[in-house]
Amino acid sequence: MAMTATAQPQPNAVLDTILRAVGWIGLASIAVAVSLSDFLASVPADTANAGPLLAPPSEMFRLGTDILGRDMLSETLHGLSATVRAALPAMLVALIAGALFGFVAARLPRVLAFSLRGVIGILSAVPSLLLAILMIGLTSRGWSGLAAGLAAAPLAFVRAFERAEAQERTSHSEYARAAGISAMTLLRRDLVYEFTQTILSGAARSLAAVTIILSTVSFLGFAAEPPHRDLGLMIAAAKGYFLDAWWTAAFPALALTLLILFARLAAGLGEGERA
Amino acid sequence: MLHFALREAARLALGLLGALLLAAALAALGAPHAGRGFMPFMIGWGSVLGSLAQADLGRSAMSGGSVWHELGAHLPLTLGLVGEGFLIALIVGIPIGFLFGAGPARRAASPLVQVISAAPIFVAALALAYLAFHLLHWPVPVGAGEKSGLQLVPHTMAELQAALLPVLAIGLAGAAAAQLALRRGAADTLRQPWRVQLRRMGLTSWDVERAYVVPAVLAALLASLGEVVLALLSAAAVTEWVFRYAGAADLFVKSVALRDWSIAAAILFVFASLTMTAHFVGVCLARLLADPGAPASWR
Repeated sequence: MAMTATAQPQPNAVLDTILRAVGWIGLASIAVAVSLSDFLASVPADTANAGPLLAPPSEMFRLGTDILGRDMLSETLHGLSATVRAALPAMLVALIAGALFGFVAARLPRVLAFSLRGVIGILSAVPSLLLAILMIGLTSRGWSGLAAGLAAAPLAFVRAFERAEAQERTSHSEYARAAGISAMTLLRRDLVYEFTQTILSGAARSLAAVTIILSTVSFLGFAAEPPHRDLGLMIAAAKGYFLDAWWTAAFPALALTLLILFARLAAGLGEGERA
Repeated sequence: MLHFALREAARLALGLLGALLLAAALAALGAPHAGRGFMPFMIGWGSVLGSLAQADLGRSAMSGGSVWHELGAHLPLTLGLVGEGFLIALIVGIPIGFLFGAGPARRAASPLVQVISAAPIFVAALALAYLAFHLLHWPVPVGAGEKSGLQLVPHTMAELQAALLPVLAIGLAGAAAAQLALRRGAADTLRQPWRVQLRRMGLTSWDVERAYVVPAVLAALLASLGEVVLALLSAAAVTEWVFRYAGAADLFVKSVALRDWSIAAAILFVFASLTMTAHFVGVCLARLLADPGAPASWR
């Protein structure tokens, strides 16, 4: 009886699996929408006077038009595409500079490892948004993807560092060291396990983190520039008149929230857990 | 406990020193000829460190005034917003963390909390502004226009309306971090063997919850104080921009845009110090709360 009970998956585990599946299906749908955005959108990006100014959603303009008469459906698709295209390289940067570097850093000689951990700890005490803004200010808007990835990296570094430290204390590591297996071989082995087990959830988590940073720096005017508007910049542009024309901000905001929500679900993040 | 507090204090001191060195390196970018190579930059860095030793933070390239003056003009607003947001975070986050910590309530609230967690702060702030404007008919200062100060202790209805939206937006961001810490703490206590052992010793379920579980869960919240403050500061940066308040976070954004590195460095240092100090205070209080063996003199 007890065997049967332990063999059955727990309700929470089933729910988690379903939520992760929903997240990945959602991300796949967004990937399809992004790759077909030029085909799905009725007009090219930033086409003014496609319809009347500030027209509410209707049969002709399903998501309405903005203050320059741009079709909101087309603009939201283009904006989503711009956001995802900027977030993907940033996600890679966060994965490499955060998760990979953090894991490797934990296995460096102790003084070096803890010095690095200390420096990154200082960076992780600064809001990642401000770090991203600072890095864009030190370089240029063209580097916003790199800046967002590097700004998201400290937290990923700290998490990976702590995981690597915990793995180093496990019995298999102690046996391996006692058996004369070199630290480099052990690191290679742990890295393979770490990345096969966490690469997908780590990538989804980084995607959520960098999307929040990138869209926020765009909203503040530090990243995307017209005509290549991303969702953050679209919402910033709607700030002056969204109280009277809700659709100008609501649909880009919905698209952005869905993208982050799907990435969070795919990463298996808990409610309220930081990406 | 004393050993723990001393170790944490040493870590805090090292962290603050590191933050100071990094901030000085950033401020050195504003020194003459700093961009002309490694040596001029190092000379600039040394010069900034020398000035810092005399409590001179330099001058703002934007206003020409001293950095101290700029911080004095903008920081109180941000600290006030963060402080009031912290109260909202506790008022909202603690009940949510306890109510939805586990069981069917958590599963029921899960989808809503997930959606709210996915909305970036600026989206949440604009949504709050929209609701306040249309449902409560409040004047909402999100359009274009001059930035203003904020009455953190409102005396009139108009001042209360102006203060409430940014404080709510910041507080909700902090509440998310607070409830997460509480739920983590609650989940940890569920796994502890002492729950069953205490019941076997004859304690009622209520006694176990009141005397052991609640302190352990609150200790988890205190241990995450640094994370909560970090969430509040991040939210303040966006909220000041959305609601057009001239706080320190807004000044940071402006200073980076205009390459005023002295101001940017000072604000970064203040924010990092606040987070690190909150973490230090939080972990020490958590240790006191959760460690019944701590000497009475420390309580």
